[in-house]
Amino acid sequence: MSLFRYANSIYGGGETLIGANYGLLPLFALAGVVIVIAHAIFKAVVAADKPR
Amino acid sequence: MTPGATPADRVERHKAIDRAYHWVMAASVLILLATAFLPILGIKFEWVGIHWVTGLILTAIVLFHIIRSSIRNFWAMMIDSGDLRAPFAKPGKYSPAQKLYHLAIAVLILSTIGSGLLMWRKVDTPFWQRNPYWLSTDSWGVVYAIHGLAAMALVTMIIIHVYFALRPDEWYVTRSMLRGWITRKEYTDHHDPRRWPAKDEA
Repeated sequence: MSLFRYANSIYGGGETLIGANYGLLPLFALAGVVIVIAHAIFKAVVAADKPR
Repeated sequence: MTPGATPADRVERHKAIDRAYHWVMAASVLILLATAFLPILGIKFEWVGIHWVTGLILTAIVLFHIIRSSIRNFWAMMIDSGDLRAPFAKPGKYSPAQKLYHLAIAVLILSTIGSGLLMWRKVDTPFWQRNPYWLSTDSWGVVYAIHGLAAMALVTMIIIHVYFALRPDEWYVTRSMLRGWITRKEYTDHHDPRRWPAKDEA
């Protein structure tokens, strides 16, 4: 999936960049969730390893 | 007695003006993201007016923040030699992770503001009529791409920020952004007083 959106230029000469691909929005949100889960697991493992 | 119950047990972490800046910025960014992405997700409403006015408010407060930070200590939130020598030691006021987060947010917010101010030229306002030919088609594409990618990256960063704000072991930091102070014990437990000689609240 491309980071960008393109459209055919009305002046000819092929495709032109028109902006970011907003179809990636769920992936950006998912990246945040994955980082959160990874950090929570890391902290839980570190806490479990600590002597009580 | 509850820790922090008296001013003598409190150390000031954030002044009222800095807390106000943080929360106005948070509200502005959330409104901007909602007005940008809800219509894309199928929730249609007149979003353009709310978006550019909120964008102007964000621009004004970020400008205020940059000026205020420059007068006080512009480098306070930058990674310094102490952070590099001992990244996991007790930090000063901010940990290396907090400084890196601030740097990333600064880059993203400044990118959205810079590109947003250019895009403002394509909107009818009380000050001017829109002019979509102000830049070439290719240049507008780059401006829109920067604006969109930075905005989507902000969604990632906000999810991470809210998670850390809600973590029980970070709650004292969140409380300080609400009420301005941390307790003396939290100060000595989490910070190096040589790197952050804090002031008492009393």
